[in-house]
Amino acid sequence: MAASTTSTPFEVYRFDPSKDSAPRYDRFTLDLPAHTPVLTALLKIRTENDPSLTLRYSCRSAICGSCAMLINSKSRLACQTPVGPELARHGKIVIEPMRNQPVVRDLVVDQKPFWDRYRKIEPFLKTDARDPMPVGRENPMTPEQVDRFHETPRCIACAACYSACPAVEADPEFPGPMALAKLYRFVVDPRDKDSKNRLVRIQPEGLWLCLRCHLCTEACPKDVRPSERIRDLKEMAIAAAGVSEPGSRHAVGFKDNIAEAGILNEFKLVRQTYGPMDLLRQLPQGIKVARKKPEILKKPDPIEGLDEVRAIYKALDPDAEDR
Amino acid sequence: MKLAYYPGCVAQESGKELDMATRWVCRHLGIELVDFPNFSCCGSGFIDEANSILNVALNARNLAIAERAGLDLLTVCSTCQGMLTLANRRLEEPATKARVDGVLAPLRLSYSGKTKVTHLLGVLVDTIGVDALRSRVVRPLQGLKVGAFYGCHLLRPQSEMNSESAEEPHSFEDLISALGATPVLYRGRVMCCGFPILFVKEPTANRIAGRQIDDAKAHGADAMATPCPLCHISLDSFQNKAEHEVGHSLDMPVFHLPQLVGLALGASAEELGLPRHLVATDAALAKVARVAVPT
Repeated sequence: MAASTTSTPFEVYRFDPSKDSAPRYDRFTLDLPAHTPVLTALLKIRTENDPSLTLRYSCRSAICGSCAMLINSKSRLACQTPVGPELARHGKIVIEPMRNQPVVRDLVVDQKPFWDRYRKIEPFLKTDARDPMPVGRENPMTPEQVDRFHETPRCIACAACYSACPAVEADPEFPGPMALAKLYRFVVDPRDKDSKNRLVRIQPEGLWLCLRCHLCTEACPKDVRPSERIRDLKEMAIAAAGVSEPGSRHAVGFKDNIAEAGILNEFKLVRQTYGPMDLLRQLPQGIKVARKKPEILKKPDPIEGLDEVRAIYKALDPDAEDR
Repeated sequence: MKLAYYPGCVAQESGKELDMATRWVCRHLGIELVDFPNFSCCGSGFIDEANSILNVALNARNLAIAERAGLDLLTVCSTCQGMLTLANRRLEEPATKARVDGVLAPLRLSYSGKTKVTHLLGVLVDTIGVDALRSRVVRPLQGLKVGAFYGCHLLRPQSEMNSESAEEPHSFEDLISALGATPVLYRGRVMCCGFPILFVKEPTANRIAGRQIDDAKAHGADAMATPCPLCHISLDSFQNKAEHEVGHSLDMPVFHLPQLVGLALGASAEELGLPRHLVATDAALAKVARVAVPT
């Protein structure tokens, strides 16, 4: 029995920078069963309508990571996205190349920046000659050691997270969710002998530009949850390298700030994070804000039960002893 | 309805107008807010980065205080909402729960996991309901096109927040419609405001905020509204800097969610603290002022 089909309108981004002055959207309407993957539909368009449609794909099984693209504005694998729910939600299916990477042609983007950032985190095991890996036998891990990887080994480098990330969009210094999730994977690998240095190096190289907006975690087709692993990396980096630049200074400063009154001392936090020179540069903005919101300069009254908060710090925060 | 009111730090400090508007709206709608002067900061995501177990324990204390009073928590900040919800989630893990219990016990505090944490947006849309809310509107915000700006932690990670669709949410737009205004749909509404790195790398944060405001503007928004005071700092208090980054004027008034509601329910600009904004709301107010408020 044949599955029932629905008339499914597509709008497909087309652009050949060598010939076209601007991108255009080609319209195609296909009769498709709801479970048809978007990739299958695009290949049908290529076969039946327009052989020049250019796209990347290979395995069709969400393993190779080649066919990530924007499907109704969301970064997704085309092979893993059925047309039915997209049509139901949007009434049509708009196909565009991924964001944050220049278009080579149609749906194919130049992934060089993505791979450059990946290479930069040195995505390979670094061993130590003084503590060599066993030769001729396995190097087993305990179940606890394996758990620490979370889902990071599942990453297929499809770049959907990179495409969805607003920090990548706004700042070329941010390594991107995938590179950082990979970094995490090597940091927690018990066979890797460079974990601490990796954590020290990544702090000034963009770790703290993560916005923890979790858009990468929503975009990831393999549930790698990069944003959560980046959070873990931040905590590990503070433990390994201390407070070495504005990001960690802000996070640790915030933590210590709350220990004082249980509620945020806004002005003090800003002072701590910036340091004197940057604070001076911020003076005009500070005056602008304080004129409308004078409370920002006020030291807050401590909360009731501050002793309880301090007891929690004492029990769980190693820094509390120093205070 | 009686709720434990968790204003969060900013609404008690530089974002006091959010607290003013929340109290006005809740008083008007018969929501009784119970204050707890012993609530501590939610950690704002920063304590989670510095020391995640400490963050869970501090919030477990907040949740325990509400539970002891037999009340659910009301938040007015996407980040507070996210952090308290995340703590509830983490406390479902037996090892985390045991460790936190061990810290709370000497303080004669215990938490059994009963405290529900709901943002004001959820209370208005789900508990009160958009129809009931619509019937209370005395100054329909007709002609005002509003871009909702959700704030990350209200929505994501969806698996942890148990939120509506993180990709295609609609509760805020439903609320805006109920107030008589026209919701504007734009990509930036579920994006990040840049706040987490505002004090780490300000130009990047400003650029991110600028892009979202620009996007709302390009889709025809006269104003934006946010359920998160941290987004408000990025979008309003630093909008001049965002303008500098995007290279042109934005002039986008940004309302706190309860300010928009209060406006439709008849509150004055002063009662809602609108003069405290960095970007003037006058142009947006002029659009709705044509409708007289019955006294």
